Amino acid sequence: MTDLPQGNVPIKSENDIIAARKAVRDLATRLCFGVTDVTRIVTAASELARNVFLYAQAGVMRWSTLDANSSVGIELTFEDHGPGIPDVELAMKPGYGTSHGLGLGLPGAKRLMDEMEIHSEVGKGTSVTVRKWLRR
Amino acid sequence: MTNQSISVVRVRDTLMVTMPADPDDVTVVALQEEVLRAMERYRPKGLVLDISAVETLDSFFARTVTETSRMVTLMGGRTVIAGMRPSVAITATQLGLTLGGTMTALTVDRALNLLSDTRPRRRLR
Repeated sequence: MTDLPQGNVPIKSENDIIAARKAVRDLATRLCFGVTDVTRIVTAASELARNVFLYAQAGVMRWSTLDANSSVGIELTFEDHGPGIPDVELAMKPGYGTSHGLGLGLPGAKRLMDEMEIHSEVGKGTSVTVRKWLRR
Repeated sequence: MTNQSISVVRVRDTLMVTMPADPDDVTVVALQEEVLRAMERYRPKGLVLDISAVETLDSFFARTVTETSRMVTLMGGRTVIAGMRPSVAITATQLGLTLGGTMTALTVDRALNLLSDTRPRRRLR
């Protein structure tokens, strides 16, 4: 397998949310996602990057390209060492959210992507991974 | 990264704002303050927010726009959001965003027609 493009964007300020969006837009466009899917992926990234900033103040977004069974995809992981999510199931319900968002972050991002996994430990941090596959 | 600047322009008795493609938080917040200052200064009928260039409308942007629209209403004006792209409309709906009943128009031209319509406003349900 050839080297697939990957990288990361630190999230430490509000402007880094824009940087994360730009990195995701560039990657999704390069992988030939359609304009609506690019918008979905970038918007999901924006929500998740904002969660990192709002709840943990700092973290990182890792992005990578997926190549499985002749299908291409994009994978984004948002990691922080913030307070963690006490009840992930509850956090996935619309309307949840203890910060300044609209409570749309996690469930909204899940609807825009194909797959989502959340690993969170109270006091240790949170890792959210989302994937979108290119339909061919 | 530098923050973008947006200008609030008065055209006759309407305020016009054109949003950049990828507005950052500082720009979005600055927009709110500038719009309200311009409302006081020019006393327009309303505000047209042209988002035809906007490629990413996330919950923060939507919330600030909804808030601004509510503030403009409190001051006695009306807000029309014009030119949302199809991809943005699809994404916003799936994300679960609402614009809190803010009026929308397909184009800036139609938004201006909406604002110049002096008939009593019908409530959308």
